[in-house]
Amino acid sequence: MSEIEATLTRIQNHKGVLGVIIVNNEGIPLRSTLDDVNTKNYADLIPSLSSLAKNMIRDLDPQNDLEFLRIRSQKHEIMVSAREEFTLIVIQDPLVGFS
Amino acid sequence: MADVAAVDEVCKRLQSHKGVEGIIVINADGIAIRSTFDNEITVQYASLVSRFSVKARSVIKDLDDDNELKFLRLRSKKHEILIAPEFEKSKEYVLVIIQAPCCDF
Repeated sequence: MSEIEATLTRIQNHKGVLGVIIVNNEGIPLRSTLDDVNTKNYADLIPSLSSLAKNMIRDLDPQNDLEFLRIRSQKHEIMVSAREEFTLIVIQDPLVGFS
Repeated sequence: MADVAAVDEVCKRLQSHKGVEGIIVINADGIAIRSTFDNEITVQYASLVSRFSVKARSVIKDLDDDNELKFLRLRSKKHEILIAPEFEKSKEYVLVIIQAPCCDF
């Protein structure tokens, strides 16, 4: 368990990281560093988008597989690592630390 | 009005970038107007990418109405798909680049 905590802490402390969310494969957030409202929004919307991305990759080539998804918006970047058992979502402001 | 020569220039520059396997430009109707792939693959990418970028945009808007989608990167085992959508009216295009991961940093 502490390995998960250590990883979450490490990611959360990374420059520019605004939030880290772990969602299980039923869409239920297991851990989050964001408030409940935002957590619920991300947990509701992001996993289905990453499923769509996964299906897109498979449709193009059944031997290929999605490894990582990055969604860059005006305000921040959402990084998604979708595994079988869970989905890891990290929201980062990519301009922090650049002068 | 699209400046065809400028579009060609950009496509040529991108295509010659290290690792780029191909590029596709899709218009607002989901039709590929430029592609370095054969027709079958182009049509597949055009329809899948259009649908995906519309969905991604609506997710970003649902999360924060003030925000706007700028770029998408799908990293797969074999390559990375880079999607640059433009949503401004009269400029609605999607640029798609398929790039093999380059390992020499």
